[in-house]
Amino acid sequence: MDFTFNEDQLLFQESVREFLGNEITPERLRAAWDTDTGRDPALWTQLAELGLAGLTVPEEHGGLGMNALDFVLLAQECGYVALAEPLVNHALAGVPLLQDLGGALAEAWLPKAATGEARIIAALEQNLLVEDAHVADLLLLERAGQWYALTQGEFSLQHNASVDPSRRLFTVTVNDAVQPVASGDQARRLRLATLNRGALGCAAQALGLAQRMVDMSVLYTSDRQQFGKPIGSFQAVKHHLANVAVRLEYAKAPVHRAAYAVAEDAAGAGQAVSQAKLMACEAAGLAAKNSIQVHGAMGYTWEVDLHIFMKKAWALANTWGDAGFHKQQVAGHIFADDAVLGAGATFQ
Amino acid sequence: MKVLVAVKRVVDYNVKVRAKGDGTDVDLNNVKMAINPFCEIAVEEAVRLKEAGVATEVIAVSVGAKPCQEQIRTALALGADRGIHVEAEGRLEPLVIAKLLKGVVDKEEPQLVILGKQSIDGDNNQTGQMLGALANMPQGTFASEIKVEGDKLNVIREVDGGLQTLSLSLPAIVTTDLRLNEPRYASLPNIMKAKKKQLDVYTPEDLGVSVTSHVSQLKVEPPAERKAGIKVEDVAQLVDKLKNEAKVIS
Repeated sequence: MDFTFNEDQLLFQESVREFLGNEITPERLRAAWDTDTGRDPALWTQLAELGLAGLTVPEEHGGLGMNALDFVLLAQECGYVALAEPLVNHALAGVPLLQDLGGALAEAWLPKAATGEARIIAALEQNLLVEDAHVADLLLLERAGQWYALTQGEFSLQHNASVDPSRRLFTVTVNDAVQPVASGDQARRLRLATLNRGALGCAAQALGLAQRMVDMSVLYTSDRQQFGKPIGSFQAVKHHLANVAVRLEYAKAPVHRAAYAVAEDAAGAGQAVSQAKLMACEAAGLAAKNSIQVHGAMGYTWEVDLHIFMKKAWALANTWGDAGFHKQQVAGHIFADDAVLGAGATFQ
Repeated sequence: MKVLVAVKRVVDYNVKVRAKGDGTDVDLNNVKMAINPFCEIAVEEAVRLKEAGVATEVIAVSVGAKPCQEQIRTALALGADRGIHVEAEGRLEPLVIAKLLKGVVDKEEPQLVILGKQSIDGDNNQTGQMLGALANMPQGTFASEIKVEGDKLNVIREVDGGLQTLSLSLPAIVTTDLRLNEPRYASLPNIMKAKKKQLDVYTPEDLGVSVTSHVSQLKVEPPAERKAGIKVEDVAQLVDKLKNEAKVIS
């Protein structure tokens, strides 16, 4: 069995890393905080030109026809730079949901999603506050067990402040005249599939965020001197970061496994995603905590970029299902009467 | 118009290079390699000429060991139409590379050859000029702007104290300066397409060129480490040190 990513997937990751690393600096993120939308239209255009908006759109609609496994490494890179644009939601949750809804709606919107002309945002009922609803060209919203496909004007928004200035959160009220596009069993199936994709996107971004915070901390502790030595040379400091590195390394395999399960629409995808999100967000949470510790008082300040990544990690931990929710999902799997557990079931 | 672009595989510009322990060469183990930034500018310019309808075909050529094909694929992803790899092992000095490129020029007969003005590893700044001499073609080096007008190529060069504009008859050679353009990123669909583009492999023998080296590299060592600074007590001490230790004022 070959569990490694293929040459194309790694090449895409490298290309996207180069682009994001060059283009999305903390200064650019900070500049967007002061704008009305908090979003950078020029950046979205660049992402679309790179082909990222159409990555998961089927080829017949102008996309690359790729899946969650192809996108997971790219989502990690998005996390690494704390990308504020709603690319992960669009490519990993919105576009696949639109495909699942099918029909005239998909025919009309998928080509626009492929070129980046339209941002497709998906939001579950449990996401009471919807991120990026204000820039969604098509908002696929679950409310009261039904799915709505909404364009601007078909819903009203009430802004809610966030501790993370990169996040724009809204309470969404659907206009009375709008009819749902899915309900009943179909809506429930779509809900489960979308939950898995959205939570997977969070998990992958959390891996990137954790890595970024470790990298920042290693850089800082290699530079900052005390008693004539870099503080990173002291056990009490470097062990903090080593613990994060270990936690992060152990979280990678579950996230990649979950991406495979989602891409293959495997029966155990829900459990795999819940495990992945728990482990990745725990790694990111530990990275945030320990990075603050090793930065000392500097880590708390607005001027140091650490808080940008830390706040995003905190936010991701509580969207698309918080830790309690995902622990229950895993418990439900383990304690089920027909649970298939043990070494022999690892790759089922 | 057919345009030939040379691309070189070098250590990525973000990597801090280290000398090997025995001082024989730069340590390339597990080091990220990339297309030379000046060559990337050359590819971008060629692709822009094609997009403007001036060039009909852009060919990316690289000389070196097999991994150079990665950089050719990058050039293809950026918009080149096909690639040529001249497979040659070992350290290749600029004259050898220029001779091999001359062999490719003889085969392909391009109207324009664009190269980076230098590579960021060797910093030789010789290959383009040598190729110009070997191929008996006019050259515009350190180009910051080029424009094809009929059978002429106008090149604006960055020279000490200003700009120089040359008019070259085609076929010609151009080497790129940093300000010629800002290279694009390869899009993901184009990275996929690049894998299907034609890539021909030649040996130096195919081109009738001997890769005999005339230059031996004797030693590679890192620059001397900068000494820690000191705080001076007052201006008088500063002046004294500048005068007697640094000897920068008299």
